[in-house]
Amino acid sequence: MLSAIEMPRAGTSGRARFDTLFTQHYSELFGLVYRVLGDRMETEDTLQEAFLKLSVAAELQTRPDSEVGAWLRRVGLNLAFNRVRSAKRSQARLERIGRLERPDAEALENNDGPAGHVVRQEERAAVRRALAEVPERQRECLLLRHSGYSYAEIAATLDLAVGSVGVLLARAEHAFRTTYWRQTHP
Amino acid sequence: MTHPPRACPDIGAWRAWLDHEDESTGLDEHVSGCAACQHLVADLREDAASVHTAFALLAPTGLPSAAETAVARERLRSHRDQSAPPPFPRPQEPIPMYLTRISTPWRVAVGGLAAAVALSLVIAFTPEGGAAAASFLAQFRSQQVAAVEISPQSQTEILKTLTALGNLGTVKLPGGVVDPARPEAAARGTAAQVATMSLAEATKAVGFALVMPDPATLPTGLDKAPQVSVMPANQVRFTFDKTRAAAYFKSTGHPEVSLPDKFDGATLVVSIPSAAILQYGDKSARDAVIVGEAGELVVDVEGGKVSLPEMRDFLLGLPGLPAAAVSQLKQIQNWSETLPIPIPIDRVNWRATTFGGHPGLLLDDNSGVGSAAIWHANGHLYGVAGSLKATDLERIADGLR
Repeated sequence: MLSAIEMPRAGTSGRARFDTLFTQHYSELFGLVYRVLGDRMETEDTLQEAFLKLSVAAELQTRPDSEVGAWLRRVGLNLAFNRVRSAKRSQARLERIGRLERPDAEALENNDGPAGHVVRQEERAAVRRALAEVPERQRECLLLRHSGYSYAEIAATLDLAVGSVGVLLARAEHAFRTTYWRQTHP
Repeated sequence: MTHPPRACPDIGAWRAWLDHEDESTGLDEHVSGCAACQHLVADLREDAASVHTAFALLAPTGLPSAAETAVARERLRSHRDQSAPPPFPRPQEPIPMYLTRISTPWRVAVGGLAAAVALSLVIAFTPEGGAAAASFLAQFRSQQVAAVEISPQSQTEILKTLTALGNLGTVKLPGGVVDPARPEAAARGTAAQVATMSLAEATKAVGFALVMPDPATLPTGLDKAPQVSVMPANQVRFTFDKTRAAAYFKSTGHPEVSLPDKFDGATLVVSIPSAAILQYGDKSARDAVIVGEAGELVVDVEGGKVSLPEMRDFLLGLPGLPAAAVSQLKQIQNWSETLPIPIPIDRVNWRATTFGGHPGLLLDDNSGVGSAAIWHANGHLYGVAGSLKATDLERIADGLR
């Protein structure tokens, strides 16, 4: 997902530059943040917050695309985890997930109706429970990698050396798998 | 047993190697000759596959399209613009002339209906579920009403979006083509056509038997003989025009949004029924009551090149349509026969109730000036508004016979 053009864009007008960054990063960030929140409206609101922060950070916008992208991923993940941690919002989120989340595409394709949808909701909840038990850094690494980001992008987001991503990811995947197995096979 | 050609790489190197992220030479050769590393790589591969399968459950069913991204960007811009202090004192938004002559509660109801008619352009093509979309030339026929809560910010965004819709093609009213820059002129023209007549003439004009309030439910002192007028039926035709749309999107800085070829020449036809208005008491008088009765609102598509899901996706992706309103619209089950009534929640309280056994909405403005009711029954749309308490107005609505 790294941009082919890595030069700073100081010469581009502020509004055009912001629009470019928004268009370039919105969709991929949506995929990342949605995996944390599981709710389209909350994801949209979180991205509004993230891009609002970017819109007032004029100096940041002049940096290379890869740096801005890493910053957005950090902010997006932080905002998303803050939402999850908020007990008040968490309750509302649970209610909204049940009420508003689009029907799962696979459930619709299989035509397995509401029962299938409920089963998938349970499966998703189990994944999130296991993920919540993984140390924060590992959790972020998992989310980034399994949202399709490269090791270089993960390194830039988590402020790591690229060579350290493999170790972190390997440990994270093992920790998650162990936890997930324990939770789903009591 | 063969010996590995070099010291065993660490776990991180092997994990990167699995993802083709480690360009180090010699790993392929090493793993082929090292049983310990083969075992490690197998474990890593199993862990990765297991996590991949689990995380696939968390992925969204679809990422935002270019149009949806543009919508989000406009939402942010709108939010920022509203947060910033205005550079000059803003003049109060002018109220269309034809509305200034109508008392507040009726203005709420009329405004709601007008917005509902306009919104129906968008709403009629927002089915959630493939089965409902099977009919290509699906027709919207209002048979019931549903509330859609609209925040002050959303009101602005919806108005902007609907105004922008006019730039994607040509709007045609019976009186001629509408200038997209001056849509209010068309509204005034329509209002000017209201004609006063007798009850019998009104019944003939609307094509169905009008119902009347039970006199006992009307406020005391109010003349029980209403002044009757009729707003004639109308038809709005909106024809998509690819060339106009491209020019518009380009001029607004959204060259990435384009009108698909299939839309070019397709026409949305909104048939607004004639409406009878029964007015009890002078409009300026305290306790005045107005009863409105109309047929079905029908929205149709002509020019069979575009499918319903495509129409839905495109209209929902128009820059500026607030996500919260879209979500509410998607919750409407019988979308093809439900007329959404936008409720400005900063000014109006509402609750769902029944009138004469038919489900509807009871609205009262937060100022306490008045209230309104709107419901569908037997293929007709009814509205009652007045400078009354909601409970008094509910009794009038409930007693229409």
